[in-house]
Amino acid sequence: MDKRIWAIGGGKGGTGKSFIAANLGLHLASLDRQVVLLDADLGAPNLHTLLGMKAGHPDLGDFLTGVAPSLEEAAVATPYKNLRLVRGSENILFIANLPHFRKLRLLRQIRQLETPNVILDLGTGSSYNTLDFFLSANPGVVVATPEPTAIENTYLFLKSCIMRVLKLYMDHYKIRDLHQRMLDQIEKNSQSLYGFFKSLMETDRSYGTILYRALRGFRPCLVMNKTRDERDVLLGRSVADVARKYLLIDMKYLGAVPYADDVQASLRGLRPYYPDHRDAAAARAIRQMSEEMAYSIEFTLRTPPEIRLPEA
Amino acid sequence: MLKRIEDWNYYELLSVERTASQDEIWEGYQAALATYKDGSLALYGLVPEAERELVLERVQEAFRTLRDPARRREYDLALLRHAPYFPPKAAFRKSVGKVEIDDAPPPKPGFWARIRRLFVKNP
Repeated sequence: MDKRIWAIGGGKGGTGKSFIAANLGLHLASLDRQVVLLDADLGAPNLHTLLGMKAGHPDLGDFLTGVAPSLEEAAVATPYKNLRLVRGSENILFIANLPHFRKLRLLRQIRQLETPNVILDLGTGSSYNTLDFFLSANPGVVVATPEPTAIENTYLFLKSCIMRVLKLYMDHYKIRDLHQRMLDQIEKNSQSLYGFFKSLMETDRSYGTILYRALRGFRPCLVMNKTRDERDVLLGRSVADVARKYLLIDMKYLGAVPYADDVQASLRGLRPYYPDHRDAAAARAIRQMSEEMAYSIEFTLRTPPEIRLPEA
Repeated sequence: MLKRIEDWNYYELLSVERTASQDEIWEGYQAALATYKDGSLALYGLVPEAERELVLERVQEAFRTLRDPARRREYDLALLRHAPYFPPKAAFRKSVGKVEIDDAPPPKPGFWARIRRLFVKNP
């Protein structure tokens, strides 16, 4: 089965990650494709609200505590054909601090879900849990808004992802002493990523090549949400270009989703946005974005970097 | 591969291919100007001011060179001497048969179809 795991993440709260995830799911489901939406925002789950549903059981917490034997059984039907939802847990205090073995089990079960499209709605921030979910997916979509705070946090999120990818590879190849060197050089001395790789290539070219390849395998996408004019749309293109040049990653700009007042109205009415506003500019943008990703040959050929999480 | 900002060539600075037309160069220049202009949001939290100014100067120099055909030819020759150019490959492979490709050329007629076309007037 040609399976795609989408992760919708980002560095800042309120950028519209859940909105994009919910409407992407609704769009794909409307095309007769089986979709499972998973609310992986462990600290503040509310994907069910965006779909016009109430919180309830079974949820992700039930799966993690063993009440629901598999993730498949925690995925409940929604009022929308072809779309199922794994609701976020109401037991937030327990679930937000997910132990390592539970995270591994969840990641394994996500891969085993018998659905061609799984969409993970991730929480804000750069905790290891969030980063690992983001890195396990293909494609990983970063959602930003045209504001300095969101741009700053987007770069921070990308940098955290990069450091995590490099650490996982360093652990895998048992070159853990390099990790400390990387932290010293990049975090403490604010040396650029280029500077770190340059010095690494000079001292140990083989490890430098391995890590550089690992970094090039990390290919996130960017969506600029809540854009109001042409400048905001171009800002997304600029951010992707800057990330390519300064963070050495192959970032693809998927496009912009224009700001719409109707979104707020839909949310207040506890109705999902997409089915009622199919011809609106924001819905069209989501459609275009998802079609590009779903049919893109580039993404079909792309394989996510094989990341093996170290055992706890 | 791994390049420092001083090592980016003019095409990389404007994010265009080496075969780019004048229109594409203009478009790339406008995008680069928007990225590296004073107070640009795209650099917020990542690129320091001194570096921004340096890149902006190089972007302007890149545009001045590439928009002038004579200077561009001269620059291309100099660039080719130490960095040969390989045009990007098509984004599809034969093994990916199930994916629709809008830009792909229509499939060539097979051998017998071509032969038949030679002999049959209205195939």
